[in-house]
Amino acid sequence: MFSPTRGVEVLEATQLAAATKAPLPRRVLGRGTLALLIALRVYVFVAVPIVAYAFVHALLTAP
Amino acid sequence: MELSRSFSGLPAAAGDQPEPEDLARARDRQKVLGARLAGRPWRLAWLLAGPGVLVMLGENDGPSMVSYATTGATYGVGFFVPFILLTFLMAYVVQEMTVRLGAATHRGHAELIFDRFGPFWGYFAMGDLVLGNLLTLVTEFIAIQAGGLYFGVPPWFSVGIGVAMVIASLGLRRYATWERAAMGLAIFNLLFVPAALFAHPDGSALARAMATWSPLQGGVTTAFVTLIMANIGATVTPWMIFFQQSAVVDKGLTVADVREGRLDTAVGALIAAIAAIATVVATAPLFAAGVDVSKFVSGADFASALAPVIGSTGATLFALGVIEAGVVAAMTISTSSAYAFGETLQARHSLNLSFSQGRLFYGTAIVSAVVAAAIVLIPGAPLLAMTLTVNVIATLLMAPALLLLLLLVNDREIMGAHANGRRANLLGGGIVVALMLVGALYGVITVFPGLLGN
Repeated sequence: MFSPTRGVEVLEATQLAAATKAPLPRRVLGRGTLALLIALRVYVFVAVPIVAYAFVHALLTAP
Repeated sequence: MELSRSFSGLPAAAGDQPEPEDLARARDRQKVLGARLAGRPWRLAWLLAGPGVLVMLGENDGPSMVSYATTGATYGVGFFVPFILLTFLMAYVVQEMTVRLGAATHRGHAELIFDRFGPFWGYFAMGDLVLGNLLTLVTEFIAIQAGGLYFGVPPWFSVGIGVAMVIASLGLRRYATWERAAMGLAIFNLLFVPAALFAHPDGSALARAMATWSPLQGGVTTAFVTLIMANIGATVTPWMIFFQQSAVVDKGLTVADVREGRLDTAVGALIAAIAAIATVVATAPLFAAGVDVSKFVSGADFASALAPVIGSTGATLFALGVIEAGVVAAMTISTSSAYAFGETLQARHSLNLSFSQGRLFYGTAIVSAVVAAAIVLIPGAPLLAMTLTVNVIATLLMAPALLLLLLLVNDREIMGAHANGRRANLLGGGIVVALMLVGALYGVITVFPGLLGN
């Protein structure tokens, strides 16, 4: 049975909606991490045109 | 240090001003704490089940079931049966990390990426998610439409019912109720099991396939590689990461619940794997009959082709399963978009909000569903091409999404003792590398389709 007297005390402090509005501090990214993230960007930049090509190709070759 | 203090897991202070969503979440948490204190592990597992089961069964969506059906009709019972199990193990490894992330930080995935890596990488991740989610949502309504066509239902009606179900589920305005309603629908993913039984499967062939990863007719061809990728894309996709983490947060899981969260994810993966393998088994008679499925455009074509082979009851169950797959995925994927948008724009984002409190949240889910449905109803829209493209996009975008997940789950400032260990990193890293290689290979055979032969 829900007890309104206990209310939100069963939640952890960081679970409250108000608490989650405060942004977390930015993480300092190391060179290795940055290199990984940039590699991701390059990967997607290469991948997206291939997907676009596949889509257009499928449209053009559809009966 | 401010960060460690804020993640100390202390209970909410009496002076804090709770919002309505906090009260709804607290009500659910009291039940969880009660079950834990009473030493009732099964009730605890039931109360904490949801995000894992939903994400796994949500990913057994329209295009995924078509991929499994194509696999069964092209290769029969053999190599792909254990391979599908392997992909669900992979999905478990990935999704378990989102449980820990959500439980330890109480933040959604988009929120964490923006906070920790900044808006540049945040918008990059969101762009991937929006593109993938919208296209995937379109294919869910394609599945609903295709399943409806099998029963002679006009597309506008079946798609309209699909949109209405998404909106009606959001109208529950309570995470716990929405979750149980979605789980109630999702369990019908197992309709593929009786459909498989109508195919009179050979138990010894299934056991042999599991033990030997064979037979594999035709060897490594373009069609084989394409189905490998389609089956991987059918089990791990970016929306799953965003959805499960946000659902874990909305449900109110804490680090004390990680064990049950893992169980929820494992059970979801097991049920989804059973449904996926059942789909392969159900369509295997098409392989034996030499039916050419390359001209099929939807799940409805499989149901129609199965009717003379496994009977009309089995085919009807198959078509109903395709509709269910589309409806449940439409609910979970539109909600995934809503969570991510709310987190990105720092708007309130919870299924515990009323419509007036969560206009952006509910608006995003409803608009994305309506737009996807409208695209499906455009006369002459290239639905088949879209379905294929979604599979490609899901596979290609998964590697970057997974790398961001790995970076976050290794972030000891926010994860503390719940950060990844060496084994989890090896498994996660291995999956990233495998997905990148598979994605690259997919790209190569897309551009050079004759490279491996047919």
